Amino acid sequence: MLTLETQNLTHRFTPHDIAVNNVNLRVEHGSIYGFLGPNGAGKTTTLRLVLGLLRKQEGSIRVFGDLFEQSRLEVLRNVGSLIESPSLYGHLTARENLVVLQKVYRCAPGRVDEVLALVGLPHTGRKRVSQFSLGMKQRLAIAVALLPQPALLILDEPTNGLDPNGIIEIRELLKHLNQEWNTTILISSHLLAEIERLVTHVGIINKGTIMFQGTLDALRSKQQQSLQVVLDTSNPDLSQQLLHQQNIAATQHDGKLILPSLPKEHLAAINQQLVHHDIKVFEIGIVKNDLESIFIDLVK
Amino acid sequence: MTRSFFNSLQSEWLKTKRSLATWIVLVGAFFTPVIIIVVRIIYHDTLATSYASPTFWATLWRNAWESIAIFLLPMGSILTTSLIAQLEYKNNTWKQLHTLPLSLATIFFSKLAIIVFMLVQFFVLFNVGIYLAALVPYLVVAGVPYPTAPIPSDLFVRETLLFFLDTLPIVGLQYLLSLHYKNFLVSIGTGVILWIAALGSLKWKFGFAVPYTYPIFNYLKSLPDNKIAAPLVSVHVMAVIYFVVFVGVGFWLFVSKREKG
Ligand SMILES: Nc1ncnc2c1ncn2[C@@H]1O[C@H](COP(=O)(O)OP(=O)(O)OP(=O)(O)O)[C@@H](O)[C@H]1O
Ligand SMILES: [Mg+2]
Repeated sequence: MLTLETQNLTHRFTPHDIAVNNVNLRVEHGSIYGFLGPNGAGKTTTLRLVLGLLRKQEGSIRVFGDLFEQSRLEVLRNVGSLIESPSLYGHLTARENLVVLQKVYRCAPGRVDEVLALVGLPHTGRKRVSQFSLGMKQRLAIAVALLPQPALLILDEPTNGLDPNGIIEIRELLKHLNQEWNTTILISSHLLAEIERLVTHVGIINKGTIMFQGTLDALRSKQQQSLQVVLDTSNPDLSQQLLHQQNIAATQHDGKLILPSLPKEHLAAINQQLVHHDIKVFEIGIVKNDLESIFIDLVK
Repeated sequence: MTRSFFNSLQSEWLKTKRSLATWIVLVGAFFTPVIIIVVRIIYHDTLATSYASPTFWATLWRNAWESIAIFLLPMGSILTTSLIAQLEYKNNTWKQLHTLPLSLATIFFSKLAIIVFMLVQFFVLFNVGIYLAALVPYLVVAGVPYPTAPIPSDLFVRETLLFFLDTLPIVGLQYLLSLHYKNFLVSIGTGVILWIAALGSLKWKFGFAVPYTYPIFNYLKSLPDNKIAAPLVSVHVMAVIYFVVFVGVGFWLFVSKREKG
């Protein structure tokens, strides 16, 4: 079942500039979906559209199976969100900020202290939010998103401004929410590495267009496909010729040969053959493209 | 609908805690009464006669309202309304507010209700202030009698209600402007310009068409030779019409905003 689904979602801020282009998000129930893309890719714009913060222009949005505009209130009651920079009342304390929202969500008053403890912000007392550090504000903003015990949590770069420890804490918290309460989480980021250990699914967006969407495993198998072998020999031209005779596509790079990934045995045979032709083999290596470089390839 | 409106009211009320707007209401309501008390204590030798006068309360009422009706009430309403609405822009909280399970009408009208409530709060406190302005000199200065004339409470209530109606157009237009424009100088600036225009158009035959003139008209009507052009229609009716129109247009603009936050 899909918790969130968009169809051909398209948005233009100006007639010629397309910020979001035919985006078909598919966020499965119970998944943690990493929404990745470089600056200006259209992540925030997509998330604002999904929450109704931007007037929809083209396409459709379904949350919990219902069209957003037809069941806006019902949907929003079950969605927690944090979009870009924290959205908090500076003249109020952390608790007061949460009570303002607790009244509207009608959740139990005890929930306020619960979420403050969850995000590691239990003792700020009478301190106004305007005097908080960036990381403290970010934590409070996450508490705000968690307040209604949402079935869907939408977080736009939630770890912005957090220290390394904070990043790990929040990651653990999100994992916990996902496992314990089956909360579906949609989380955006610039860095695959940052959310790689958290997400089950990935969507990669660039210049408003989705470049990849699927499970993290599907992305990993893309990585497997991109394994390559480097061969450094004393006679690259002859080596290349020999390989081509065996129908192995090899290309030269800086005097080295690059060939697709092959079984170990096959590599050993190639080595023997080269030596047999009096070619010295200096190096046989495997280049491993990490997920990050796949990501960078996709958004190039 | 009604329940979430009530919840939204509670939420909006909490937001005004410690805000500048709350202070403006408090300071505005007791500003003139405090000045009157200080002046009376300084010139205490004239008090015995004035406290015995049959027109004691009417004179006090007029003195208390002078700076309020002409200056503090319009300015205070401009500032308070803009500050309350601007709270969301200033804190970048529109996006949070718009992702709450609240209809646009609930958001718009609960915020407006809080502003109107603060206006009511101001009038109540100001009436208390006026009473204190009579009471404190009597308690503090020896030999001053308690005012012999009875408190004309029907005058107080009627005039307060009229001033309330007359201030509503200011609230309505300031609310519209400060919801619509992110830059709060637009709403404050427009407010100040309209107030100056109101002062300048009092002698003009059609001065009553300027929406910020009504508290001033209502105050000046009681002065003997006020030199103002008598409004051709009831300013109170005009005030209510303007308020309804401003709120209607304001709501329409609010609903049709493309970017909610
Ligand atoms: N309010 C706006 N008015 C006009 N253009 C906008 C507006 N907001 C975003 N854009 C444009 O839309 C495009 C996508 O921006 P968006 O904020 O969605 O990117 P993003 O993926 O969230 O980037 P980042 O990682 O920097 O947060 C950009 O080209 C941006 O200039
Ligand atoms: Mg963004």
